[in-house]
Amino acid sequence: MSTLDAQLLAAHEVDDRPALVRLYQDAAQMSFDENAAGFYLTHAYIFALELGHADTPALHAKLKAMGRES
Amino acid sequence: MSAHITDLSAVRRHVSEAQGLPNPHYVDPAVFEEEKHAVLFSSWAGLGVTADVPEAGDAVPITFLGIPLLIVRDKNETVRVFQNICRHRGMMLVEEPRKIEGAIRCPYHSWCYGTDGRLVSTPHVGGPGQNTHESIDRNLLGLIEVRSHIWRDVIWINIDGKALPFEEENAELIKRWAEFDKPLFHGGADSKFQLKVNCNWKLAVENYCESYHLPWVHPGLNSYSRLEDHYHIEEPDLFSGQGTLVYRQLKGADGQVFEDFEGVGAKWNEAAEYISVYPNVLLGVHRDHAFAIVLIPDAQGQTTENIHLYYATPETDDAMRAANTEQWKLVFEEDIFVVEGMQKGRHAQDFDGGRFSAVMDSPTHCFHAWVAGKIENQRAQAHAAE
Repeated sequence: MSTLDAQLLAAHEVDDRPALVRLYQDAAQMSFDENAAGFYLTHAYIFALELGHADTPALHAKLKAMGRES
Repeated sequence: MSAHITDLSAVRRHVSEAQGLPNPHYVDPAVFEEEKHAVLFSSWAGLGVTADVPEAGDAVPITFLGIPLLIVRDKNETVRVFQNICRHRGMMLVEEPRKIEGAIRCPYHSWCYGTDGRLVSTPHVGGPGQNTHESIDRNLLGLIEVRSHIWRDVIWINIDGKALPFEEENAELIKRWAEFDKPLFHGGADSKFQLKVNCNWKLAVENYCESYHLPWVHPGLNSYSRLEDHYHIEEPDLFSGQGTLVYRQLKGADGQVFEDFEGVGAKWNEAAEYISVYPNVLLGVHRDHAFAIVLIPDAQGQTTENIHLYYATPETDDAMRAANTEQWKLVFEEDIFVVEGMQKGRHAQDFDGGRFSAVMDSPTHCFHAWVAGKIENQRAQAHAAE
């Protein structure tokens, strides 16, 4: 995760929100634990929601299916 | 407490016997606070114009009498006004004008709102990665919307929510200017400007109401539009202002003029009207253009004037439009020294509110009487509640 961590920090540093949507989805995918995945997907979803990003509906559906979003 | 601040008994007398509003209504923070509730929150006050948010998603924060507000054009093109705070911890949501691409995200804990104010996500509210909780009903926690209405492109708000519907409250004026109820096209970036003036907001209204000062303060204007060419407009407890019978259209280099508002009758060929819509909006209509001045009371002795010019067509000649803005800017700037001078004068301890000219000042007195009536009404309600 260390490269991904660095990329996330760098994206936060420059407020690159499209990158955050992508990187948090990557982090969710690399998680072995559903709680961690839910956490990362939540962040991806929130930044996507803010941006009106094309991934928003899919992220919402995923979180809803996991019982983490209404 | 506020019931004893000022004596308004002389203000609502006939203009020939009345005194103007006493000094504290211009210089005392306690009276400013009283007027805020009695006069500005209880009526339909101007906040801005829809041209401030031309595209869907545009959001403009504005502080109105200390309240952080947010003007938003939602995704369905409806212009709304919200209190600019998150329902979670009261954090300010939007600090600078910007485009909301998707949702309004609170910068604190990232609760997200649609441009229509719906609360759409509450991340981690039920614990990490759990974005719902039975105690959080999103349907009850949308942004707090302020009652608003759009007329002549102005966004009018009623903070206390108790005023009559806008169309009822302003039925007389809407009827008076029915001929001008046509699409208005904001002239764009060169057709708006802002003036910061060191005066109480009411002095700007009062000065706008009357033509008495024109020959002295606006000699250029008076060269063709003389005092005797003006008439008073007075609707007690509603609005007041002035009209002219010798409006002359601006002409371009080749003698061209702005297009008229469609269907505006011959009555307006050389007439124009300037009305103070109580409390804080100053409107002007002419056959070929209109303007709106929204007064934002910043403090008891400070006011921001936001001025916007409108035309009958979306496209107008650039040079003519710029000349028209410049012409009006000059007029409004000429008024600054008088409103600021009157503000300074309100610190003279023995000034008694002033005597009006029964002939020339009645539109100004009409406004004073309205303000006094609103304050007395609130004092009576407070007294009854005690």
